[in-house]
Formats: sequence, C-alpha cells, structure tokens
Amino acid sequence: MVNTQKILLSSLILSITLLPLSSCKEDDPTDIETYDFQPILNHLAQHVITETYVDLHAKSISLVSAVTTLQTSPTAINLEAARQAWRDTRKPWEQSEGFLFGPVSTKGIDPSIDSWPVNVVDLEAVLGSGAVLSKEYIDGLEGTLKGFHTIEFLLWGEDGEKTVDLFTAREFEYLIATCQSLESNTNELQNSWNVSGENFQSEIAEAGEDGSMYVSQKSAMQEIINGMIGIADEVANGKIYDPLSQLDVTLEESRFSANSKADFIDNIRSIQNLYAGLYMISGDGVTTFIVSENSELNALVEAQMQNAIDLIDAIPGTFTEAIFENPDAVTAAQESVRQLQETLQSQVKPLIDAI
Amino acid sequence: MRFNFITIIAKRSMLILSMSMLLLCMFIYSCTTDPEITNWYNEDEYAAGGATTLYEATSGAFSTPAPNLSATAFEKHMAGDVSFESIFVTAPATNNAGLGPIFNDVSCVRCHTLDGRGDKPSVFRVSIPGTDAHGGPNPAPGFGGQLQDKAVFGVLPEGKVDINYVEEFYKYPDGSNYSLLRPVYAISDTYISLPPGTMLSVRAAPPVFGLGLLEAITEADILAAADEFDLNGDGISGKVNYVWDVVSATAKIGRFGWKANQPHLDQQTAGAFSGDMGITSTLFPTESAYGQIQDDGMGDDPEIDFEFLDITSFYTKTLAVPAPRGLEKPNVMLGKQLFFEIGCENCHRQKWTTGIATGIPELSNQTIYPYTDMLLHDMGPGLADNRPDYLASGSEWKTRPLWGIGLTAVANGHTRFLHDARARNLEEAILWHGGEAEKATTAFKNLSAGERAALIAFLEAL
Repeated sequence: MVNTQKILLSSLILSITLLPLSSCKEDDPTDIETYDFQPILNHLAQHVITETYVDLHAKSISLVSAVTTLQTSPTAINLEAARQAWRDTRKPWEQSEGFLFGPVSTKGIDPSIDSWPVNVVDLEAVLGSGAVLSKEYIDGLEGTLKGFHTIEFLLWGEDGEKTVDLFTAREFEYLIATCQSLESNTNELQNSWNVSGENFQSEIAEAGEDGSMYVSQKSAMQEIINGMIGIADEVANGKIYDPLSQLDVTLEESRFSANSKADFIDNIRSIQNLYAGLYMISGDGVTTFIVSENSELNALVEAQMQNAIDLIDAIPGTFTEAIFENPDAVTAAQESVRQLQETLQSQVKPLIDAI
Repeated sequence: MRFNFITIIAKRSMLILSMSMLLLCMFIYSCTTDPEITNWYNEDEYAAGGATTLYEATSGAFSTPAPNLSATAFEKHMAGDVSFESIFVTAPATNNAGLGPIFNDVSCVRCHTLDGRGDKPSVFRVSIPGTDAHGGPNPAPGFGGQLQDKAVFGVLPEGKVDINYVEEFYKYPDGSNYSLLRPVYAISDTYISLPPGTMLSVRAAPPVFGLGLLEAITEADILAAADEFDLNGDGISGKVNYVWDVVSATAKIGRFGWKANQPHLDQQTAGAFSGDMGITSTLFPTESAYGQIQDDGMGDDPEIDFEFLDITSFYTKTLAVPAPRGLEKPNVMLGKQLFFEIGCENCHRQKWTTGIATGIPELSNQTIYPYTDMLLHDMGPGLADNRPDYLASGSEWKTRPLWGIGLTAVANGHTRFLHDARARNLEEAILWHGGEAEKATTAFKNLSAGERAALIAFLEAL
C-alpha cells in the first residue's frame, strides 16, 4: 500500500514538474529567435561541410591509386601525377579548415590527417627497420608518422627536389600504406557527417531543437563564424606570420611541396564557401543573413575575401623564397587576411551575437 | 544559503509528502510570481568566471581566451595556445624535439580535447607502498611514478593497461533501472617485471579552463573551508592536501590534479610535459626514463625552456570560463534547489572570490561559481584507486569544479565523467559518489524521476 502511495505521489510530482516546462516557454528570453537560421545551417551542414568531406575522401582514393601506379611504374610522369593527386587531396582538406569543429576535432581525426611536424627520426628508423609496412601498421603509428605531411615528405623529400630514382622499395610501401590510412581517416570523417553515417550534420541543421547538441540556432551560427574567424587568424597570425617574422622556413607548413600559397588560398576559400553557401551546389550561406542586416558589410566581406585570395596569389615565386625576397608582398597578403579576420570578428559576429 | 533536509531523508514517505506539497506550492504560480522558486534564480551566476566569462555555447566553450585580457596578456595567451597544441617529435629535430623516449601522448591537446575533458583514460600513475623523500608517492623501481604506454620507435613502452568494463544493474527506490560500468584494470606487456605491490591509478584528462581563477583563491580561504575532522558534524570532512613544491622546495597546499597533488599550475604543466610526453623543462630537468635501461642519455635537457613552460602554463590560467545557460528555466531552478538541499553543494561549493593573482590582474578579485571546495573527500570504495598521493588516501579525491560541465558534449563530443571517465553521463557520475557523498547520493536516488531529471538539467545548464 505504501508503495502504491509513493508511486502515485511520484507521478504526481513528475507531472507537476513537467507542466511548467511547456507552459513557460514563451517567457524564456533565451529561446527567442528573431531570425530563422535553419535554411543557412541546413545548407552549410548538408552541402558545404559534408560535401567538402565527401570530396576529400574521393580525392584520397585517387591518391592511393596514384601512388600505387608510381610503385608499379616509377617514372617522372607518375611521380608528378602522384604529387598532383596529393595537391588535389590537400585542396578540400584546406577548404575544410574553416570548420574544424565536430568529429574532426573531438574524434581525434585531425591529428591522423594533418599532424605537423613530421617525426623524421622515427620515419627513417621505421623505413630502416624490418616492420611490415601495412595500412594496419601505419594506422597504429602517431600522427607525426602519417597523414599529409608524411606523404608530402616522402613524395618531395626534405629539399623538395627528390627524383623518382631516389625512392626505395620501402618508401613506396610506406607511401601506399600511409595513403591507404589517410583514405580510411577521410572516410571516417565524411561518414561522421553524412546522413547515411553518424549524421553529425543534423546537430547543425537541427540546432536548437530538443535533444540537439546546440542549445540554439544562434549557438550553431556562432560555431560557424568562430570557425571562419579561427582559420583567418591561423593563416594571418600563424601560417604566414610565424615563418615571415622569424625568417624561419622550417615553420612553414607545406614547405616540402612548395604548396603553402595554395594552402592559404584554400583556407580563405573555406571562409568563402561558408559565407557564400557554395560548394558544388549553391544555396544559403552566412551572406543570406548579413545581406538582410547590412548590405554594405556584406559587400565589404566579399571584397576582403577576394582581396586576400588575390594578394596571396600575387606573392611572387614560392612562399619559402618570398619571405626572404619579397617580404613586402607577403606582409601585404598577411595584412589582407588580418583585415578579413577583423571584419568577421568585430562586425559580422556581433550581428549574430545580437540575435 | 544551505538547506539541510538530510535528517528528513530517513523518513522517506514524509519527505516525498513534504516535497510534493512544496512542489505543488512552487508550481502553481511558477510562471508568474512565485517567490519560492524564483529565489533560486540569480542573474549574477551567469558570470561563472567573473570578468573572464565567455557567453557562448559552442565547441570553443573551453578553448577561448578570457575576454578581459589586456593586449599583452592576450598575446602571451595566444603564444601559449600554440605551445599547448605543439606536437612533439623524436630528437634530434628542428622543431618540437624531445618526445619521450617513453610517453603517454605527443601534445597537451591530444588528451585535453579542445582544452576540455578526455573521453578515456590517458595517464596511468604507479607507485609502490611507502613515500618518497617529500611524502609523495613512492616511485615503482624501473617505472617511476607513471606508466608510459607509448614510446618512440625502437624503444619499448613501459607496458600497457588493459581496461575491461563490467556492467552492473541497479534499481532506484522508485523502481526505475540504471546501470554502471565498473572498470577492471590490469597492467600487461611490461618491458621489465613490475615490482611487487605496484599500485595503479588510472586517470582521464580534466578540462583546463578557469584554472588561473582557482589558483587565485587564497590559501586562507581554502583553509577556512577545510574541516578535516568534521568538527561541524555534517558527515563531511574536507581536507587539504599538502604537496611538495619544487619551486620553493617546501610543502604547499595542493590545488590541481584529481588528488590535489600539484601546488600550482607551473608545476602541474611541467609535470605533464615530463610524465605525459617525456619533455624535460626547467622545473623537471630529468627525463621520466632516467635511470631506466631505455633512457636516451642525450643530455639535451631541458628540452623546453622556461618561456615555453611559462606561456603554456599561462594559457591554462587565462582561458575563459563558459557561462551557464537557461538558469531561469523552472526545471533548472528546481534542479539547483535540489542540488543545495540534498547536500551536493556541501562539497561542490558554488561560490568563491579570488584574491590577488600575481601578474594577472584580470583574474584578481573575481566572484566565481566553480562548484568546488578545493578539498579532498573520501569518495568511498567504489571510486577508490587505493593509491595514496601525499595526504590523499586511496579513497580521497579533490572535489571537481562543475562549471561548464554541461558543455562537455558540444565542446568535447562525449559525456564521459569522473577521474577515469567511467561514467557515461552525469547521472552515472552522481551515482558513483560514495563515502562522504553517500548521503547525498542516497537522497538523489530517493528523488522522483522528475526531480532527478531537474537536478541533471541544472548540471547541464552549468
């Protein structure tokens, strides 16, 4: 009898407790949304972000194939094809660095794909050992022994002038295994966002709904803007500034392949893609909201993104050479990215914060 | 404000009756003017980290610089950000040299995901019975104070820790089910035999934001809160750990680490560089593998200079504290009320005011809401690691701060909690509390499902 009484009382308490949750919703100031970001969030998650990762994975499959061909037929042409396949894979990765939130960070995928620097001492030791260089073996190694920069080191050599006759049989084996490992990591990444996989995109697309990781659409928009600001900051104040200010080429990220300018441009394109809502398919982006609030600011952001890309592209020669020979051009490019960062931080973000 | 309802708990039906009456009174007018529940809302608590508070619930919730940093402090913080993310490699190398030769991971951020909480054990403390010269854990010969489960190429890891979880099934008094994962640990594949009697403590990485504020709480305030012999008779004996400070070469109050075994953040940081990554510094210039057969003997120590250590430590001191969300929601207010009433707050102390933070005025004189008393408590046999650490017994742990805990999912992509990440969510974390927290845990179990959900909603709002 007592138990029945308790259960009755408990359910009474429960029903009373739950009652105000629905009835007070309108009174809750944090739930007021004056702008519906859902179309923007949905398009960015579904098309821009997920499609970038799908593209990255597709390109990494081509990379495996290119290095396999290189092993079978080690010619200068096949070496260049493998290097081009690396650049083609690098491109969507750099274009994903404007949204380094979600599984890429929390599942520890980033370090397996893009660790820097390369652990050259251990890499040489592994190559010189009798270890079987399978994909599974590479999977078990630290990030500094696999991913883009290890592949880059193997394809170009430390001085960037490696010729095809310098490759050892072990290096070909390592190259293939580490490209296969990269392929599986990029596959995990696209799967983590894909609707057919773990569907992280729904966290962004359905932000603010019951059970969502993001308490509001505004939080998800802040996530997007923070990603854009973060990569602008990284390019301006890290990737360009560090080697330039210290005149130290070892601080340059894609030095072996002389791909740094392309890296920087693709990072800015990452910002552009989120802003414009464009990756393969065009749709709503951050611009959709900004235009409705302040069309002059919208024009400024668009101009500054393009200006940054143009000025990076205008740096003469390789980035490595330019920090010594054309520091003014490098400084101008760095400054243009910094201005973009400043606009995103001090003008674009506050419009979202104010919602 | 502390309401002590604990004495009533013995009379459970009385409690339920009175609670339901109370709730009835509360909710009838809860959408309008009821003072009973709105008393539990305090707008000031949004500023959880005082002027260092970040008002954003994004993945950057734990990894954003405090908004009140001066230009100079901001620059130092950003330099420390790079250090915190720096990936170390085998020496000799042009950049970031000195990894290992034995280690647990290659960078700070690998375990402290986005400056937050790890979802699995990453550090394995070992020792044998007895103490070292300063009263700390007695290093296990051949292994030191920590088992490094990774090594650079050509060197053997010291061993590995096998983790098995046994799922145990329980019922709340109201009949609803819950289960807990009880971890079973075993050391295997050791490079030499483990000394007999080796004790193991398995740890996951805790969040690193807000630490400068906790460091700025005055010693006098912590001592005033301590009650080692439970003189006030509330069943809770908050105890101060005294640990060896390598800088002053004296014993100091322990503030950081799961067992409060580090006196300040410089030493905490240097200890992590040394024990977790095999990186020697000015504070700990001796390799973790020193004296072992696998020591690299390179003589390149310290592998990071004082500045590198200083900026990394500074980074953890000056990260923003994320603000709570939705404190005015009725179920969050109810949850907060229950949190106080069943005694959670007796150890998870809500509020402090910091003293003077030397050299960092941004952290000085801040009213903060960390939900920790900075003290050690006996947490019972279920959580015990049975490995003493200075004055902390094998079952004592430092009360963890709860600020930002509801953002673990968005910032770290998981909801694993407690010292070894055994709890799969906040509810399980509460249910593991034993020892001095047993009464509060029992009271939690005796709440209705709706009340338990409200208490968790409050934690998720933090």
